[in-house]
Amino acid sequence: MEKIDISTILASAIHESKNQVGTLLYQLQGLKDSTGKNDLSLKRIVLIEESLKKLNDEWVEYLYLYRLASDGYDLHVDTFLLDEFLDDQVFALQPSANAKSLELEYNCDEHLTGIFDERLMTAVVSTAVYNALRFAKSKIHINAKMENNFLIISIEDDGEGFKQIDTEDQFDEFPEGNTGLGLYFAELSATAHVISDIRGFIKKESSNVLGGASLTVYLPQPIDLIS
Amino acid sequence: MAQQDFSKKKALLIEDMAEARIMQRKMLTDFGFTSIDIAMKAETAIELLRNKSFDVILSDYNLGNGKDGQQLLEEVRHSKLIPNTATYLMVTAETSIEMVMGAIEYQPDGYITKPFSQAVLQRRLSKLLETKERLYDVNVALDENNFAEAITAAKLVIKKYPSLLGKCERIIGESLLEIKEYKKALSLFNKTLKSRKMPWALFGKAKSYFLMGELEKAEKSFRQLMLDNRFFVSAYDWLAKIQVLQGKIEEAQATLIEAIDRSPKNILRQMELGNISLSINDFLMAEMSFRRAVFLAKYSCYNTADVYLKHLESLARISDNGPLLPRQKDNFNSTLKKVHELFFEEPSNKSKAYSYEIDIYLADNDKSTAKQIFEAWLSEVKSASATAPTKEQSAHYNKSFGG
Repeated sequence: MEKIDISTILASAIHESKNQVGTLLYQLQGLKDSTGKNDLSLKRIVLIEESLKKLNDEWVEYLYLYRLASDGYDLHVDTFLLDEFLDDQVFALQPSANAKSLELEYNCDEHLTGIFDERLMTAVVSTAVYNALRFAKSKIHINAKMENNFLIISIEDDGEGFKQIDTEDQFDEFPEGNTGLGLYFAELSATAHVISDIRGFIKKESSNVLGGASLTVYLPQPIDLIS
Repeated sequence: MAQQDFSKKKALLIEDMAEARIMQRKMLTDFGFTSIDIAMKAETAIELLRNKSFDVILSDYNLGNGKDGQQLLEEVRHSKLIPNTATYLMVTAETSIEMVMGAIEYQPDGYITKPFSQAVLQRRLSKLLETKERLYDVNVALDENNFAEAITAAKLVIKKYPSLLGKCERIIGESLLEIKEYKKALSLFNKTLKSRKMPWALFGKAKSYFLMGELEKAEKSFRQLMLDNRFFVSAYDWLAKIQVLQGKIEEAQATLIEAIDRSPKNILRQMELGNISLSINDFLMAEMSFRRAVFLAKYSCYNTADVYLKHLESLARISDNGPLLPRQKDNFNSTLKKVHELFFEEPSNKSKAYSYEIDIYLADNDKSTAKQIFEAWLSEVKSASATAPTKEQSAHYNKSFGG
């Protein structure tokens, strides 16, 4: 009997389910439009909508994860203005933060540009923010800066922070109730970025400003563009 | 980001699924569009684009059984049915983005992944329109084929908006190729490749070498593109061009067959395979390619007489080796009928069609019908509605008729 590639089957199953979530979101949008602003059910509809969006984003992450891990992903890098890129991310994730009464903002030099795969980094940032949403007490900050030919994007919160028990093992200490897939995905995405043999990487740190966890993504940049 | 005024913009929405169409139309109306045309498939969209100008085209990648959104984009951009100043936003599912991004040669101005909310669509469109405004002078120059001006304008844009560097560099490089400044283009593409491995820059490099006549270097770059990006089928077309120039016609044919395997719906590629096959007397392959081209031509921008006549020609050449099979004869008649309907005004088309028809009847040894057609042809020549047969043709036919 031919051997079944279970990961491929799972990936396409996720894809199918993701499409159904898309249809549900469309239908929910219609329901939302026909619900009065003062209707009590509107709040619940918004909550359902946010959960579905999160589910959709998570499945997108899994699909990329599958492709990255099975070498089926072609990186498409381009130049982006970080101010625009992060503004997009905050715009997309703001409703989720609002739903939990958390503050979400970004910080970067308005002229900062960087080279990266937009789709992957969108998925990485949203994964990190969704994660931070579970632990933050009041705020989440996204920062970007350029240092030593690396574009550095960090997602920080004011929660308890990563447990500092075992700094050797990247994945053991991941907060409870989580599979660690998010970090693994961020790591694969970062290392997929290569410029002149220099690979990207991630760091789990504690946030100097907010005191909680900080997931920092380092993406290599070409040298002559920064000078 | 400045809030865009959409009320004066004309939008074309192309989406085959009713639910999504209604939803997207509502979204567009809600943020201000007053003029929205709707097409349920690519063919309808082409008709609309022929007769009307649009500022914004929102097209789904997946358009049912006909052409997909990418093919539509390639066709309308290639035939300049939409100006560079218009914005093309492709709606994709996760699985189709790679196809869209892999196209390299003809990319939409932006894409948006399903599912999206009204706010996300509005924001994406606002941004794209803002970018279009910033590139307005560049795009106007491109639409006028004034490439020197496009380069000057693009350099100004880079100074003013550094984040548009990539887009502008690409435009400058491709404009340099247009004005035959191949060396300058090559050095620009190389400069980009040094800092960023952009597929368009590698593609530009390959084209530069090709145009400079450095076929081996061009081939190396095109092969690299094929390796890097399995969705970029155009690289095969270029490789085939190189192989033709090197006199390796059979290899070029094999390259195109592989390309068509990956992407069968491109009519120009089918035509190219047909022509190459004709040139090496592989009439069966030629017939198959032109038959597919005839099928694809109907709703395409390339609905020209040539497609149909070449199909007839390949069948006529098959008949040189014996009568056509019934199936082939049906194909011949069906294409001939289309020539009659669409292209019979033009005298040279008429004479070509007559000559192929005579060949087919002669192959069947039906001399009297062949002769009747020949006489009909000659009488049309007298009324100047068909061009005259060549001396060789007349001699050949008269001999075949047993005269």
